[in-house]
Amino acid sequence: MKALSSGRSEARTSLLRFFRSTEMTLLVVGAAGFAILVAGSHGSLLHGDAVRGILSYLTVPILIGLAQLVVLAVGQMNLSVGPLGGFLAVLIAALMADHGVPVLLAVVIALTLGTLIGAANGLLVVTTRINGFIVTLATMTILGGLQYRVVGTRTIDPGSGILKTFGTMSLLNVPVIFLIALAAAGLLAFFLRRVVTGRRLLASGGNPLAARLSGISNDRAIVVAHALSGLIIGVAAVLTVASAPGVNKSIGGDWLLPSFAAPIIGGAALTGGSVSVLGAVLAAFVIRLVDVARAQYSLDPSWVNFTVGAVVLGTVVITRIRETRQAKATRRRVDLGRTGITGDSSTAGSAS
Amino acid sequence: MNTTEQVGQPGTDRPPPGRPWTVRSHRLPPGSIQRLGLLAIIAVLVFAFGSARSSFYNQQLTVFPLLRDIATFTVVGLSQMAALSVGHMNLAVGRMAAFSAMFMGLAYQDWHLPLYPGLAVGLAAGAAIGSLTGWIISATGVNSFVVTLAMDFALLGLVSLVYSQFSTTAAFTTQPAGMDGLRTYSLADLCAGNVCGSPAIPQILLFTGLAMLVVGYLYARTRVGRELLLVGSNIRAARLSGIPDRRRVILAHGLSGTLAGLAGFMLAVTSGSFTAGIGSQFMIPSFLGPILGGTLLTGGVVSVVGTLLGTALVQVIRQGLTTLGVGLESLDVYLGVILLLTLSAGRIGSVVSHRRAVKTR
Repeated sequence: MKALSSGRSEARTSLLRFFRSTEMTLLVVGAAGFAILVAGSHGSLLHGDAVRGILSYLTVPILIGLAQLVVLAVGQMNLSVGPLGGFLAVLIAALMADHGVPVLLAVVIALTLGTLIGAANGLLVVTTRINGFIVTLATMTILGGLQYRVVGTRTIDPGSGILKTFGTMSLLNVPVIFLIALAAAGLLAFFLRRVVTGRRLLASGGNPLAARLSGISNDRAIVVAHALSGLIIGVAAVLTVASAPGVNKSIGGDWLLPSFAAPIIGGAALTGGSVSVLGAVLAAFVIRLVDVARAQYSLDPSWVNFTVGAVVLGTVVITRIRETRQAKATRRRVDLGRTGITGDSSTAGSAS
Repeated sequence: MNTTEQVGQPGTDRPPPGRPWTVRSHRLPPGSIQRLGLLAIIAVLVFAFGSARSSFYNQQLTVFPLLRDIATFTVVGLSQMAALSVGHMNLAVGRMAAFSAMFMGLAYQDWHLPLYPGLAVGLAAGAAIGSLTGWIISATGVNSFVVTLAMDFALLGLVSLVYSQFSTTAAFTTQPAGMDGLRTYSLADLCAGNVCGSPAIPQILLFTGLAMLVVGYLYARTRVGRELLLVGSNIRAARLSGIPDRRRVILAHGLSGTLAGLAGFMLAVTSGSFTAGIGSQFMIPSFLGPILGGTLLTGGVVSVVGTLLGTALVQVIRQGLTTLGVGLESLDVYLGVILLLTLSAGRIGSVVSHRRAVKTR
């Protein structure tokens, strides 16, 4: 709904809407949380190294959130994000360390392969008509096996090269890899908002029937979304190799849950058609703050999962309460306006 | 024993994407062809693996552990099937198993309960956490995927926190009397007069049989079971016919949690201790069993026997490939490819039979 809203709507109403939106809530929560953490650490969190650490560990969560978001936009799911990222990461490292492939070529191979595997996911969904959830569950198994086959039980360190220097580089104390993640988010937002293909993805996700009647190929939208998801995962894999000290079979193993958490907390609808890139990025930041807090107070790592789960459940309940209250208020207004039958608008787009 | 039930037509107001309308055959109950097909595939695979390596028929080393795995993962599949029956998913199935198993471990270690009261405590815990999940879903109307995903996160954290609090080794290792026996006993230890059972069939399979009977009876014979399926196939029609859909959703998730707890117990019996890692491997198999067996992701159609057969197929492939000497690194690749092929074949079959039905009509 956010991405679909016309950019030309009145500035004031859109500003008003923004203040009530999920993004605003996340922004306030994120800012308040960060302020509390800074106060708790007596300001040491504002030092260069600390900021760099927070931001560079934010890179991968943002990217995997975006990869999930783009398939959520067409009403699909991609369970294979983790093993795909892990497979591509160990592939890059193995190509460079074992076969002496130049960095640039390895990166290009990873990005291309990511896109192709993503497209294959989409094609499988389209041709077999099996639910995308099940298809990506199967490809997840396959890719996990491939990752293990490439790397085995060892940890590959691609050595110090351009990629490593790149991974530690920073611009005005902001890591370059984080800037790349932000750039990816910006491009994706632009794509979904302004580019015809991107808007078609959302239209197809929002109401497949209406989309088909207006001449949009739902099949193409599904394939494009899965391919884009694969490409973004490719980027995440490259940046993982660039910033991690070494890659092994555990890379990507814990990506599945965060990949859903970021876009969903950020306000995406699982049924498709409604996503928020800004919301997903902010949600990834808030989740990262929980991790920072854990490190700062040296708590058990399990607290992070517990808190994130509890916060999502809490958000779900609170959002629902707010929605029902708003709906009640609207209905009262409508009832005052015209006493009579309230039309059931939810059946408007259905087929008979 | 046929327990497939189908209630109502798929909702016409929201056509399930990509699924042709259900073809109604009056000669055979729906889905029985699919289950016969599964049985045939399993038989062919067993024969093929057995011909390639005679050790595949080894009762102690292959058949017994294989059946033990099938027993556990069928219950895992039934747990997912309970959520699927109302058109929901339970992504937290593994962590609910861990949550239940944690209570069983506590019951045995700190409260010194015997085997079956401890099991009851764990099942009650599973039912409680499942019902809570169902309550959140029905009260908020939020997609079950989101809620169970968040629940998975929360339980993942909670369970490991409790284990690190209450035990030094991150495991409850106290075993009540009879638990060790359950692991190794087979039907050969169960004799009626002079006739003893086969040593290849583990006793733990009896738990699975019991669970299948209860769940099968619920869905096939009781009013509540039919109401669950109607909620899954068309929640609007269910609501209009006066079914308390919220309570049915809570019931389905409660059942899912209970069965997850049972699966956690069975895994703990097999491995010999209660750890936080129980159930971490449950998520993928929990979907594969029911889906291969003909349970619909969209809800309204379940098959208990199909879940057993689907689970058996996956485990036979796994065990067979291991017996053939396929390494761990290739196992998942082959398994994934075979699953995709099986699923596609099923899809092609249903499309073909749909075309034929349309032609003859």
